[in-house]
Amino acid sequence: MFSIFCYLREFLRPEWWKKFLFVKTAPLVTPPHYRDFPVLTGNECSHELRCMMICPAPGAIEVLKNAEGKWEPVIYKGHCIRCGLCVEACPDNVLTSGDILSVNEKEKTYFLASYHLNVDDSICMRCGNCSVACPVNKEVDPQLAYTATSSSNEVIMRIKNSKLTIIHPEKCTGCKTCEEACPNHAITVARVLEGFQDED
Amino acid sequence: MSFLQSLKNNVRQRSIHVCYVNVGSCNGCDIEILACLAPRYDIEQYGIYVHNNPREADILLITGAFCEQWEDKLADLWDKIPEPKAAVTIGNCPVSGCVFNRRGSFVDPPVSKHIPVTASIPGCPPRPTEILSTILSVASELFKDYEDK
Ligand code: SF4
Ligand code: SF4
Ligand code: SF4
Ligand code: SF4
Repeated sequence: MFSIFCYLREFLRPEWWKKFLFVKTAPLVTPPHYRDFPVLTGNECSHELRCMMICPAPGAIEVLKNAEGKWEPVIYKGHCIRCGLCVEACPDNVLTSGDILSVNEKEKTYFLASYHLNVDDSICMRCGNCSVACPVNKEVDPQLAYTATSSSNEVIMRIKNSKLTIIHPEKCTGCKTCEEACPNHAITVARVLEGFQDED
Repeated sequence: MSFLQSLKNNVRQRSIHVCYVNVGSCNGCDIEILACLAPRYDIEQYGIYVHNNPREADILLITGAFCEQWEDKLADLWDKIPEPKAAVTIGNCPVSGCVFNRRGSFVDPPVSKHIPVTASIPGCPPRPTEILSTILSVASELFKDYEDK
Protein backbone atom coordinates (compact mmCIF):
# COMPACT_ATOMS: atom_id res chain seq x y z
CA MET A 1 0.00 0.00 0.00
CA PHE A 2 2.78 2.36 0.96
CA SER A 3 4.75 1.56 -2.17
CA ILE A 4 1.78 2.43 -4.41
CA PHE A 5 1.59 5.74 -2.64
CA CYS A 6 5.27 6.30 -3.25
CA TYR A 7 4.89 5.51 -6.96
CA LEU A 8 1.97 7.86 -7.32
CA ARG A 9 3.85 10.62 -5.54
CA GLU A 10 6.81 10.10 -7.83
CA PHE A 11 4.78 10.21 -11.05
CA LEU A 12 2.66 13.17 -10.05
CA ARG A 13 5.66 15.44 -9.82
CA PRO A 14 5.63 18.01 -12.65
CA GLU A 15 9.42 17.63 -12.83
CA TRP A 16 9.04 13.97 -13.76
CA TRP A 17 6.52 14.72 -16.50
CA LYS A 18 8.74 17.46 -17.90
CA LYS A 19 11.69 15.09 -18.07
CA PHE A 20 9.57 12.35 -19.58
CA LEU A 21 8.03 14.44 -22.34
CA PHE A 22 10.86 16.83 -23.19
CA VAL A 23 14.00 14.78 -22.87
CA LYS A 24 17.19 16.60 -23.67
CA THR A 25 20.07 14.53 -24.90
CA ALA A 26 23.63 15.46 -24.12
CA PRO A 27 25.25 17.46 -26.92
CA LEU A 28 27.72 15.59 -29.11
CA VAL A 29 31.04 17.23 -28.29
CA THR A 30 34.53 16.62 -29.55
CA PRO A 31 37.31 17.16 -27.01
CA PRO A 32 39.91 19.79 -28.03
CA HIS A 33 42.77 17.27 -27.88
CA TYR A 34 41.12 15.09 -30.49
CA ARG A 35 43.21 14.65 -33.65
CA ASP A 36 40.78 15.49 -36.39
CA PHE A 37 41.70 15.90 -40.05
CA PRO A 38 44.71 18.24 -40.14
CA VAL A 39 43.90 21.85 -40.95
CA LEU A 40 46.08 24.72 -42.17
CA THR A 41 47.61 27.05 -39.59
CA GLY A 42 48.34 29.81 -42.11
CA ASN A 43 52.14 29.35 -42.04
CA GLU A 44 53.74 29.32 -45.44
CA CYS A 45 54.54 25.95 -46.96
CA SER A 46 58.15 25.73 -48.16
CA HIS A 47 57.38 22.77 -50.43
CA GLU A 48 59.64 20.28 -48.69
CA LEU A 49 57.00 17.60 -49.21
CA ARG A 50 57.77 15.85 -45.90
CA CYS A 51 54.06 15.41 -45.33
CA MET A 52 53.67 13.49 -48.57
CA MET A 53 56.79 11.53 -47.73
CA ILE A 54 55.60 10.33 -44.36
CA CYS A 55 51.88 9.85 -45.05
CA PRO A 56 51.03 6.14 -44.69
CA ALA A 57 47.64 6.32 -46.42
CA PRO A 58 47.54 6.13 -50.22
CA GLY A 59 46.22 9.31 -51.80
CA ALA A 60 45.59 11.16 -48.54
CA ILE A 61 47.70 14.28 -48.98
CA GLU A 62 49.01 16.32 -51.86
CA VAL A 63 50.88 19.61 -51.95
CA LEU A 64 49.23 21.75 -54.60
CA LYS A 65 49.32 25.39 -55.64
CA ASN A 66 46.39 27.34 -54.28
CA ALA A 67 44.54 30.17 -56.02
CA GLU A 68 47.27 32.63 -55.05
CA GLY A 69 49.98 30.43 -56.54
CA LYS A 70 51.37 29.40 -53.14
CA TRP A 71 52.09 25.81 -52.16
CA GLU A 72 49.57 24.33 -49.78
CA PRO A 73 48.90 20.78 -48.56
CA VAL A 74 45.47 19.41 -49.43
CA ILE A 75 44.04 16.54 -47.40
CA TYR A 76 41.53 14.15 -48.87
CA LYS A 77 38.89 12.94 -46.46
CA GLY A 78 38.03 9.34 -47.09
CA HIS A 79 41.72 8.62 -47.59
CA CYS A 80 43.36 10.32 -44.59
CA ILE A 81 43.48 8.08 -41.50
CA ARG A 82 44.11 11.03 -39.12
CA CYS A 83 47.40 9.64 -37.88
CA GLY A 84 48.83 13.15 -37.54
CA LEU A 85 52.24 12.23 -38.92
CA CYS A 86 52.11 14.99 -41.54
CA VAL A 87 51.56 17.54 -38.77
CA GLU A 88 54.62 16.25 -36.91
CA ALA A 89 56.85 15.96 -39.94
CA CYS A 90 56.25 19.43 -41.34
CA PRO A 91 59.24 21.69 -40.51
CA ASP A 92 57.17 24.89 -40.86
CA ASN A 93 54.13 23.84 -38.79
CA VAL A 94 51.83 24.42 -41.76
CA LEU A 95 49.32 21.87 -40.51
CA THR A 96 47.76 21.38 -37.12
CA SER A 97 45.50 18.82 -35.54
CA GLY A 98 44.45 18.44 -31.94
CA ASP A 99 47.30 18.94 -29.47
CA ILE A 100 50.08 17.49 -31.64
CA LEU A 101 52.01 20.73 -32.09
CA SER A 102 51.85 21.70 -28.42
CA VAL A 103 52.90 18.20 -27.31
CA ASN A 104 55.79 18.26 -29.78
CA GLU A 105 56.89 21.60 -28.42
CA LYS A 106 56.67 20.41 -24.85
CA GLU A 107 58.50 17.14 -25.40
CA LYS A 108 60.94 18.59 -27.95
CA THR A 109 60.33 15.86 -30.48
CA TYR A 110 60.86 16.37 -34.19
CA PHE A 111 61.59 14.55 -37.40
CA LEU A 112 64.70 15.09 -39.47
CA ALA A 113 64.82 14.16 -43.11
CA SER A 114 67.85 13.00 -45.07
CA TYR A 115 68.12 12.01 -48.71
CA HIS A 116 70.32 9.45 -50.34
CA LEU A 117 71.13 9.49 -54.03
CA ASN A 118 71.91 6.28 -55.78
CA VAL A 119 72.99 5.88 -59.39
CA ASP A 120 73.03 2.58 -61.18
CA ASP A 121 76.11 2.97 -63.34
CA SER A 122 75.22 -0.01 -65.49
CA ILE A 123 72.09 1.67 -66.89
CA CYS A 124 73.11 5.34 -66.60
CA MET A 125 74.00 6.61 -70.10
CA ARG A 126 75.73 9.77 -68.81
CA CYS A 127 73.30 12.11 -70.54
CA GLY A 128 73.34 14.53 -67.63
CA ASN A 129 69.57 15.12 -67.73
CA CYS A 130 69.34 14.67 -63.98
CA SER A 131 71.96 17.28 -63.12
CA VAL A 132 70.37 19.76 -65.55
CA ALA A 133 66.88 19.16 -64.16
CA CYS A 134 67.87 19.41 -60.51
CA PRO A 135 66.57 22.74 -59.15
CA VAL A 136 69.34 22.93 -56.54
CA ASN A 137 72.02 22.56 -59.21
CA LYS A 138 70.48 25.37 -61.23
CA GLU A 139 70.62 27.66 -58.24
CA VAL A 140 74.20 26.76 -57.34
CA ASP A 141 75.50 27.09 -60.89
CA PRO A 142 73.39 29.38 -63.08
CA GLN A 143 75.54 28.47 -66.03
CA LEU A 144 73.95 25.03 -65.90
CA ALA A 145 70.51 26.45 -66.49
CA TYR A 146 71.58 28.37 -69.60
CA THR A 147 74.08 26.10 -71.25
CA ALA A 148 73.21 22.69 -69.78
CA THR A 149 76.87 22.12 -68.96
CA SER A 150 78.64 22.70 -65.72
CA SER A 151 82.18 22.69 -64.51
CA SER A 152 81.40 23.75 -60.97
CA ASN A 153 82.29 21.48 -58.10
CA GLU A 154 79.56 22.95 -55.91
CA VAL A 155 76.66 21.17 -57.63
CA ILE A 156 75.02 18.04 -56.23
CA MET A 157 75.98 15.86 -59.15
CA ARG A 158 77.32 16.25 -62.67
CA ILE A 159 79.06 14.30 -65.37
CA LYS A 160 82.70 14.25 -64.35
CA ASN A 161 85.40 12.05 -65.79
CA SER A 162 82.72 10.63 -68.16
CA LYS A 163 80.70 9.32 -65.21
CA LEU A 164 77.80 10.73 -63.27
CA THR A 165 79.54 11.77 -60.07
CA ILE A 166 77.72 12.76 -56.91
CA ILE A 167 79.71 15.58 -55.38
CA HIS A 168 77.50 17.15 -52.69
CA PRO A 169 74.72 14.74 -51.71
CA GLU A 170 74.03 16.80 -48.55
CA LYS A 171 72.57 19.63 -50.66
CA CYS A 172 69.79 17.46 -52.03
CA THR A 173 66.27 18.48 -50.94
CA GLY A 174 64.65 15.21 -51.93
CA CYS A 175 62.40 16.66 -54.63
CA LYS A 176 62.87 13.64 -56.94
CA THR A 177 63.00 15.83 -60.05
CA CYS A 178 66.10 13.96 -61.17
CA GLU A 179 64.28 10.64 -60.90
CA GLU A 180 61.59 11.91 -63.22
CA ALA A 181 64.08 13.46 -65.65
CA CYS A 182 66.16 10.33 -66.05
CA PRO A 183 65.14 8.44 -69.22
CA ASN A 184 66.61 5.18 -67.93
CA HIS A 185 65.43 5.26 -64.30
CA ALA A 186 69.07 5.03 -63.36
CA ILE A 187 69.03 7.55 -60.51
CA THR A 188 66.94 6.96 -57.41
CA VAL A 189 66.39 9.14 -54.37
CA ALA A 190 65.73 7.50 -51.02
CA ARG A 191 64.01 9.77 -48.53
CA VAL A 192 64.65 8.83 -44.92
CA LEU A 193 62.83 10.43 -42.03
CA GLU A 194 64.12 9.90 -38.48
CA GLY A 195 62.51 10.89 -35.21
CA PHE A 196 64.53 12.72 -32.56
CA GLN A 197 64.03 14.12 -29.09
CA ASP A 198 66.11 16.81 -27.42
CA GLU A 199 67.12 15.89 -23.88
CA ASP A 200 67.96 18.54 -21.35
CA MET B 1 0.87 20.28 -42.84
CA SER B 2 -1.74 18.13 -41.25
CA PHE B 3 -1.48 17.22 -37.63
CA LEU B 4 -1.15 13.58 -38.57
CA GLN B 5 1.80 14.30 -40.83
CA SER B 6 3.63 16.30 -38.21
CA LEU B 7 3.02 13.53 -35.71
CA LYS B 8 4.43 11.00 -38.18
CA ASN B 9 7.48 13.16 -38.81
CA ASN B 10 8.08 13.53 -35.13
CA VAL B 11 7.74 9.89 -34.33
CA ARG B 12 9.81 8.70 -37.27
CA GLN B 13 12.70 10.94 -36.35
CA ARG B 14 12.79 9.44 -32.92
CA SER B 15 12.59 5.85 -34.05
CA ILE B 16 15.34 5.03 -36.47
CA HIS B 17 16.26 1.43 -36.87
CA VAL B 18 19.72 0.68 -38.14
CA CYS B 19 21.19 -2.52 -39.44
CA TYR B 20 24.92 -2.79 -39.94
CA VAL B 21 26.94 -4.88 -42.27
CA ASN B 22 30.65 -5.43 -42.48
CA VAL B 23 31.80 -5.90 -46.07
CA GLY B 24 35.42 -6.48 -45.19
CA SER B 25 36.69 -4.00 -42.63
CA CYS B 26 39.48 -4.31 -40.11
CA ASN B 27 36.85 -4.19 -37.32
CA GLY B 28 37.96 -0.72 -36.20
CA CYS B 29 34.80 0.92 -37.49
CA ASP B 30 32.63 -1.87 -36.08
CA ILE B 31 34.11 -1.21 -32.67
CA GLU B 32 33.18 2.47 -33.02
CA ILE B 33 29.59 1.38 -33.73
CA LEU B 34 29.81 -0.72 -30.61
CA ALA B 35 30.98 2.36 -28.70
CA CYS B 36 27.82 4.14 -29.91
CA LEU B 37 25.77 1.44 -28.20
CA ALA B 38 27.67 1.63 -24.93
CA PRO B 39 26.49 3.91 -22.08
CA ARG B 40 28.89 6.73 -22.88
CA TYR B 41 27.17 7.58 -26.16
CA ASP B 42 24.03 5.47 -25.69
CA ILE B 43 22.58 5.50 -29.19
CA GLU B 44 19.06 4.78 -27.92
CA GLN B 45 18.70 8.14 -26.20
CA TYR B 46 18.73 9.67 -29.67
CA GLY B 47 16.00 7.34 -30.82
CA ILE B 48 18.27 5.08 -32.83
CA TYR B 49 17.88 1.36 -32.36
CA VAL B 50 20.14 -1.38 -33.62
CA HIS B 51 18.09 -4.07 -35.18
CA ASN B 52 20.19 -6.40 -37.23
CA ASN B 53 17.45 -7.39 -39.60
CA PRO B 54 17.33 -5.64 -42.96
CA ARG B 55 13.57 -6.13 -43.29
CA GLU B 56 13.01 -3.92 -40.25
CA ALA B 57 15.75 -1.40 -40.89
CA ASP B 58 15.56 2.21 -42.02
CA ILE B 59 19.26 2.84 -42.31
CA LEU B 60 21.97 0.48 -43.39
CA LEU B 61 25.41 1.18 -41.95
CA ILE B 62 28.20 -0.21 -44.06
CA THR B 63 31.78 -0.70 -42.91
CA GLY B 64 34.61 -2.17 -44.91
CA ALA B 65 36.31 -1.99 -48.25
CA PHE B 66 33.94 -4.30 -50.15
CA CYS B 67 35.47 -7.71 -50.61
CA GLU B 68 34.64 -9.67 -53.73
CA GLN B 69 32.31 -12.08 -51.93
CA TRP B 70 29.86 -9.23 -51.33
CA GLU B 71 29.32 -8.58 -55.01
CA ASP B 72 25.84 -10.18 -55.10
CA LYS B 73 25.07 -10.24 -51.37
CA LEU B 74 25.06 -6.52 -50.58
CA ALA B 75 22.61 -5.64 -53.37
CA ASP B 76 20.31 -8.43 -52.14
CA LEU B 77 20.48 -7.09 -48.62
CA TRP B 78 19.75 -3.57 -49.84
CA ASP B 79 16.67 -4.78 -51.74
CA LYS B 80 15.28 -6.35 -48.57
CA ILE B 81 15.14 -3.02 -46.71
CA PRO B 82 11.71 -1.40 -47.02
CA GLU B 83 11.32 2.21 -48.19
CA PRO B 84 12.16 4.82 -46.94
CA LYS B 85 15.76 3.71 -46.58
CA ALA B 86 19.26 5.07 -46.69
CA ALA B 87 22.74 3.64 -46.77
CA VAL B 88 25.43 5.33 -44.71
CA THR B 89 29.03 4.20 -45.08
CA ILE B 90 31.33 4.36 -42.09
CA GLY B 91 35.05 5.00 -42.35
CA ASN B 92 37.51 5.45 -45.15
CA CYS B 93 37.22 1.88 -46.34
CA PRO B 94 33.88 2.16 -48.19
CA VAL B 95 35.09 5.43 -49.76
CA SER B 96 38.60 4.63 -50.87
CA GLY B 97 39.52 1.20 -49.58
CA CYS B 98 41.76 2.93 -47.05
CA VAL B 99 44.85 0.89 -46.19
CA PHE B 100 43.54 -2.19 -48.00
CA ASN B 101 43.45 -0.54 -51.41
CA ARG B 102 46.86 -1.69 -52.60
CA ARG B 103 48.03 -3.55 -55.61
CA GLY B 104 47.10 -7.22 -55.34
CA SER B 105 44.34 -6.83 -52.75
CA PHE B 106 40.88 -8.18 -53.43
CA VAL B 107 38.74 -5.18 -52.58
CA ASP B 108 36.45 -3.21 -54.84
CA PRO B 109 35.73 0.21 -53.33
CA PRO B 110 33.87 2.53 -53.36
CA VAL B 111 30.70 0.97 -52.03
CA SER B 112 28.64 3.64 -53.83
CA LYS B 113 29.48 1.75 -57.01
CA HIS B 114 27.37 -1.16 -55.80
CA ILE B 115 24.41 0.39 -53.97
CA PRO B 116 23.21 4.01 -53.67
CA VAL B 117 24.90 5.66 -50.69
CA THR B 118 23.31 8.67 -49.01
CA ALA B 119 26.14 9.74 -46.75
CA SER B 120 29.72 8.77 -46.03
CA ILE B 121 31.52 9.33 -42.76
CA PRO B 122 35.27 9.62 -43.37
CA GLY B 123 37.86 8.75 -40.75
CA CYS B 124 39.78 5.65 -39.84
CA PRO B 125 37.73 5.03 -37.80
CA PRO B 126 35.29 7.94 -37.35
CA ARG B 127 34.34 9.07 -33.86
CA PRO B 128 31.07 7.78 -32.39
CA THR B 129 29.85 11.40 -32.28
CA GLU B 130 30.42 11.69 -36.02
CA ILE B 131 28.46 8.49 -36.64
CA LEU B 132 25.60 9.65 -34.43
CA SER B 133 25.32 13.14 -35.86
CA THR B 134 25.39 11.80 -39.42
CA ILE B 135 22.62 9.28 -38.76
CA LEU B 136 20.53 11.98 -37.11
CA SER B 137 20.98 14.48 -39.92
CA VAL B 138 20.31 11.88 -42.63
CA ALA B 139 17.21 10.60 -40.85
CA SER B 140 15.62 13.99 -40.37
CA GLU B 141 16.00 14.73 -44.09
CA LEU B 142 14.94 11.32 -45.25
CA PHE B 143 11.83 10.67 -43.20
CA LYS B 144 10.40 14.18 -43.18
CA ASP B 145 7.15 14.27 -45.19
CA TYR B 146 8.00 10.93 -46.73
CA GLU B 147 4.41 10.46 -48.02
CA ASP B 148 4.71 13.58 -50.18
CA LYS B 149 7.89 12.43 -51.87
S1 SF4 C 1 47.05 12.68 -40.91
FE1 SF4 C 1 48.23 10.86 -41.55
S2 SF4 C 1 46.97 9.91 -43.15
FE2 SF4 C 1 46.19 12.01 -42.89
S3 SF4 C 1 47.29 13.19 -44.45
FE3 SF4 C 1 48.46 13.36 -42.52
S4 SF4 C 1 50.01 11.72 -42.65
FE4 SF4 C 1 48.43 11.26 -44.20
S1 SF4 D 1 66.14 14.90 -55.53
FE1 SF4 D 1 65.89 16.98 -56.30
S2 SF4 D 1 67.46 18.15 -55.20
FE2 SF4 D 1 67.99 16.00 -54.95
S3 SF4 D 1 69.44 15.59 -56.61
FE3 SF4 D 1 67.39 15.01 -57.36
S4 SF4 D 1 66.66 16.85 -58.42
FE4 SF4 D 1 68.37 17.48 -57.13
S1 SF4 E 1 69.54 11.27 -66.26
FE1 SF4 E 1 69.77 9.11 -65.77
S2 SF4 E 1 70.97 8.31 -67.49
FE2 SF4 E 1 71.17 10.53 -67.56
S3 SF4 E 1 73.06 10.95 -66.41
FE3 SF4 E 1 71.33 11.12 -64.94
S4 SF4 E 1 71.21 9.05 -64.03
FE4 SF4 E 1 72.43 8.86 -65.89
S1 SF4 F 1 38.28 2.85 -42.20
FE1 SF4 F 1 40.05 2.27 -40.98
S2 SF4 F 1 39.18 1.58 -39.02
FE2 SF4 F 1 37.51 1.60 -40.51
S3 SF4 F 1 37.48 -0.49 -41.32
FE3 SF4 F 1 38.76 0.73 -42.69
S4 SF4 F 1 40.86 0.40 -41.96
FE4 SF4 F 1 39.46 -0.24 -40.32
